[in-house]
Amino acid sequence: MAFVKAQKTKAYFKRFQVPFKRRREGKTDYRARIRLTNQDKNKYNTPKYRFVVRFSNKDITAQIVSATITGDTVLASAYSHELPRYGLEAGLTNYAAAYCTGLLLGRRVLKMLEMDDEYQGNVEATGEDFSVEPTDTRRPFRALLDIGLIRTTTGNRVFGALKGALDAGLDIPHSDKRFAGFSKDNKQLDADVHHKYIYGGHVASYMRILMEDEPEKYQSHFSEYIKKGIEADNIESLYKKVHAAIRADPAAKKSEKAPPTQHKRFNLKKLTYEERKAKLIERLHALNAAGGADSEDED
Amino acid sequence: MPAGHGVRARTRDSFSRPFRKKGYIPLSTYLRTYKIGDHVDVKVNGAVHKGMPHKFYHGRTGRVWNVTKRAIGVEVNKQVGNRIIRKRIHVRVEHVQPSRCTEEFKLRKLKNDQLKAEAKAKGEIISTKRQPEGPKPGFMVEGATLETVTPIPYDVVNDLKGGY
Repeated sequence: MAFVKAQKTKAYFKRFQVPFKRRREGKTDYRARIRLTNQDKNKYNTPKYRFVVRFSNKDITAQIVSATITGDTVLASAYSHELPRYGLEAGLTNYAAAYCTGLLLGRRVLKMLEMDDEYQGNVEATGEDFSVEPTDTRRPFRALLDIGLIRTTTGNRVFGALKGALDAGLDIPHSDKRFAGFSKDNKQLDADVHHKYIYGGHVASYMRILMEDEPEKYQSHFSEYIKKGIEADNIESLYKKVHAAIRADPAAKKSEKAPPTQHKRFNLKKLTYEERKAKLIERLHALNAAGGADSEDED
Repeated sequence: MPAGHGVRARTRDSFSRPFRKKGYIPLSTYLRTYKIGDHVDVKVNGAVHKGMPHKFYHGRTGRVWNVTKRAIGVEVNKQVGNRIIRKRIHVRVEHVQPSRCTEEFKLRKLKNDQLKAEAKAKGEIISTKRQPEGPKPGFMVEGATLETVTPIPYDVVNDLKGGY
């Protein structure tokens, strides 16, 4: 057998500093987190809210979170799996769905804080850059966009959610540089292109292309759309209806399921000392039995 | 080469981060709030270069007299010559920890208030003063056997048997 020098010696392990747990899991960027949650000391206990947007393969999570020493508390949250309640059944992770989720969260928070009449936001989504104007009575709800570990590229769905929250009436410092439709050459946001993306225009044009050129691929790729009867032409009006439904009733609905009496276990339960000893004795018995059989065979 | 007297002279060990605790500092340091009048310990965090106090103040405890956006004003006693001066320094929150020096006092205050309220309700008079530890009470020694030890007369022959 070739002699290989051990790469990770005992000394390596003794000196190894384990990163923070969420860094090990690759879920939290601590450099960004420190800068987002750090509150001015002369503001004492005033919470600093983050508008958190995270994407999974089939869902979008939008939350308003504030940080405390015991843990972050979520003020309000909206998921794209709630959108079927407002009439959107398919395409729950695209740019338009992100816009809807951000809009839902924004209206929900404003309703929760009883500011929804004062701050209507941008009712007719045009795709132009819109910032909330403070009214005389109360200042708008301020949050800071928390992207997580996503690479900021122009046209990312995260900024779709941001646009939804802005149009809902939240005050989130931003620039239009990363919205879909911003051209680097002109250094300007093309409001029409952005409007197209907000209403799923890019999805509709792809549907039309596939219907023309590759009908089988269209059937397989957009099967859910076809099942629900959504066609390229009625996508825009569908999203308009969803926006109106969200503005009408953004309140969160409590699920009727009772909370489980016993929490689901995701990891193995730790064995007691007696259990571990018993397991060892069992293993030794098994080894002895197998060893006895082998020696009988050999003889 | 002459000895240097720079601001961070002789701080190689005191300002260095502890073993396996380097890198990003945990968020609770940033989330704590400090009010004027709180007692704080000054402990330099070598990972953060801004708002570091001078090495003299490392390990000192003082009171908060000012709170700004990212830093805290701490009033620390310093002996200069034959007198003690109250020095006011500004330190970033990463180099400050809440002090537990008044914790025992605050707990005792609460307990005493509670005891006094109970005594008032019952109508009896109590003293909440702390008493110093007195002499230990007397006790009987148990299980002791007496062994009388007497010197034996010197025996030349026996003692020299070993080696001569």
